[in-house]
Amino acid sequence: MIKTAPIAITGLGCLCGAGMNLAECLESMFRNERNPHPPVRFSTDHPVSYPVLELREDFKLPLDDQQTIYARTSQLALAATLEALTDAGWDAASLRGKRVGVCIGTTVGCALNCDDFYRAYKDGDDPEMAAIERYLRSNPAAVIARQLKLDGPNQTVVNACSSGTDAIGLGASWLRAGACDIVIAGGADELSRVTYAGFSSLMITDTEPCKPFDVKRKGLNLGEGAGILILENESVCGAKAPRGYVLGYGSACDAYHLTAPRPDGAGLKQAMQEAFTAAGVTPDQIAFVNAHGTGTPDNDRVESRVLSEVLPGAPFVSTKGYTGHTLGAAGGIEAVFTVACLQRGEIPANIGFADADPELPGTPVTENTRIEGTVALSESLAFGGNNAVVILGKGAA
Amino acid sequence: MRMAISGIGISGGFGCGVAALRQALQCGVVEPRQCSVERNGAIDTFPAYRTSLEGLDEFIPKRALRRIDHFSKMTLHSACLALQDARLSGGDLSRMGVIIATGYGALKTTFDFLDSYLDFGYSCSSPTHFSNSVHNAAAAHVSMQFKATAPSLTVTQFEMSVPSALLTAQLWLAEGRVDQVLFGTIDEYCAVLRYCRRQFFATGEQGPLQPFTFTEQSAVVGEGAAFFVLSRGEEDARYGAIDAVTLGNHAVVPLTLPHDDLLIIGADGHAKCGRWYAQALTGRAVAAYAPLYGSFPAAAGFDLAVAALSQQDGILYASPATAGASDSALQVVAARRPLGKANIVCLKFGPGGDYGLIRLSR
Amino acid sequence: MSVKEKLKRVLIEDLNLEDVEPDEIDDDMALFGEGLGLDSLDAVELVVIVQKHFGVEIKDMEEGRPALQTINTLAKYIEQRLAG
Repeated sequence: MIKTAPIAITGLGCLCGAGMNLAECLESMFRNERNPHPPVRFSTDHPVSYPVLELREDFKLPLDDQQTIYARTSQLALAATLEALTDAGWDAASLRGKRVGVCIGTTVGCALNCDDFYRAYKDGDDPEMAAIERYLRSNPAAVIARQLKLDGPNQTVVNACSSGTDAIGLGASWLRAGACDIVIAGGADELSRVTYAGFSSLMITDTEPCKPFDVKRKGLNLGEGAGILILENESVCGAKAPRGYVLGYGSACDAYHLTAPRPDGAGLKQAMQEAFTAAGVTPDQIAFVNAHGTGTPDNDRVESRVLSEVLPGAPFVSTKGYTGHTLGAAGGIEAVFTVACLQRGEIPANIGFADADPELPGTPVTENTRIEGTVALSESLAFGGNNAVVILGKGAA
Repeated sequence: MRMAISGIGISGGFGCGVAALRQALQCGVVEPRQCSVERNGAIDTFPAYRTSLEGLDEFIPKRALRRIDHFSKMTLHSACLALQDARLSGGDLSRMGVIIATGYGALKTTFDFLDSYLDFGYSCSSPTHFSNSVHNAAAAHVSMQFKATAPSLTVTQFEMSVPSALLTAQLWLAEGRVDQVLFGTIDEYCAVLRYCRRQFFATGEQGPLQPFTFTEQSAVVGEGAAFFVLSRGEEDARYGAIDAVTLGNHAVVPLTLPHDDLLIIGADGHAKCGRWYAQALTGRAVAAYAPLYGSFPAAAGFDLAVAALSQQDGILYASPATAGASDSALQVVAARRPLGKANIVCLKFGPGGDYGLIRLSR
Repeated sequence: MSVKEKLKRVLIEDLNLEDVEPDEIDDDMALFGEGLGLDSLDAVELVVIVQKHFGVEIKDMEEGRPALQTINTLAKYIEQRLAG
């Protein structure tokens, strides 16, 4: 691994259970509010109901009739992209002639989870193909490229819960290699009955609002949303004052178990080391960490141990209490928060945490906390043993 | 960044291994298997290129496979074959990155998971099926099998999955994140896929697959896995090397290509994608090999395997089916010819004019 | 068929333990780690198996852990729940 050049972040966009845009999300998080409730958009016959963090019902894309054309995940991705592009000062016309890449992480956005279609198929009916056609149209990276008429590489990363973080790291690499001038990078995922059933079957969902790093943590709450960053080459970025920088990215696989994280956190540590080398940053420079902090017993244990070992004393927060676990979107949303918090000089309280777990060496911030410094780290641990880390820098804007 | 190809592992409708692919190229004919699906008391019979997992248990004990689905078995099988071909089996692979490109992921297991709750209620949703239906499960199994602790990545981009993922392989090698990349491309057949294709294409699925009749649907469903061991070292370039990977959209900025390149095109009987080849490649020398392995998004990786093999053999093999060739404005390679100094370029179009271009050299 | 016998059969079938015969599973053999060699993902699948084949619900792992030790402990748990 070699040191890599910083990449400018010129725009941010995000929506999730905490708010319909970045400003709303920050406001509600710094007010320490959250709104988990049983799912509204779908139902199951499951005897237990698990709270989720859904987007407000008034979500509507600022485009005509796209709602029915694209699956919800792609709509979320598009909404966050449009916010981020506006924030960066781009529109469809000014992007003409630029080579614009799109790199998006997701899970549900690429899965053929059409259960109504499949139920009809199983029942011996001949279901109509609308659901499948929508799936075939809805690859999130392709949707953004098609909608904005872009000419450049597209990539939809499906690395489960680290997808969003990976997509940002990979998008930055494209720019360094000269594969494009601008990259739209981040993650998007919708709440779905299928992941709801899947995560409850793994017995890692909490029946109450989730409690990251708390001694009584029982599991995660699912969420949905999208978080997008506009990444630019210095030459394109020009006189624009960046919001922040992607300084480094590291990734490593536990190669240990399909669903359980490696207890010693070796993969996470390796990903962190790689990110530090790439960024040319030392651990003492890290002002704070946006932790993965899902609220599952295993994840929080491993993460807390690694954080206390590699970054002792660095304040850390899981924002999943506010957003829920948005799976492939999480890395995107949390990178957006990390850049915004660096600019603001403050991180929100780790909501849901009340009592320390004697087994865990560290505790997250329990109230909104001022931070000093210009470099922060956001990390994601995923199903399949993937670990991804981005180191982000503060911009002048 | 030049990526040397030092090993290939492949299984598809033509059989398993590089030798089987070479034989298929030499003889130019692979008959799809007649498959059938029973539904509502009627039997639906259709051709399909299916794989076998022959020899998988020589690499991996049966017990270790008990939770592993067909998709991941195909994955592991071709991954083992590729490492064996590259003479890397059993070595320290901790710095080997794993990248998997798939159009649809583990389809069968996705529906198996839905079965678990549709048949028995949500409280009987199977965590094993759920875990294996997640798109990166196959990559996770590969990383675990070879103790590959370097980065692992799964990409799905329908027809563009292979070139898109290959772009990342190149950057990993360039940035020194990994010493090698085990790069795999996989898609699987399942009965629901057959239903969908029949609804979409009706008799257009009956074959034979004619890549050059661009305006007519003649796709025949296929499945398989192709793996490549990629590295920086020139001495590893047993099958030549990949020089450049480019993605873009022909409808936004028209594609331009050097005139002396030989093109292996991913035309596979899909009329929606076929028109782009016809439009963009007037007068160009092209070959297409989909009639040897069928139509599926990850088949772009099979085109790449053919290109690699052609480089090793110094031969461009004859296109196995040439119907429609004389009507098109393309120069279809109808008989095998020496490669000479020409470079091979693999070109894949998606239905919206999106393209992926993979340029190889010896 | 006794609860234990049925348990062994469905365990082999649903966890795909093709290489194991029912009578090779000792009633007191540890199901996890050494012993039968199951892991945390099998544990949650076992919860589904118990629900599906015996109609007995295990709400969470805190409740399930003591039961999910051996065929004996699990059979006893199921029998108690069916009787109650």
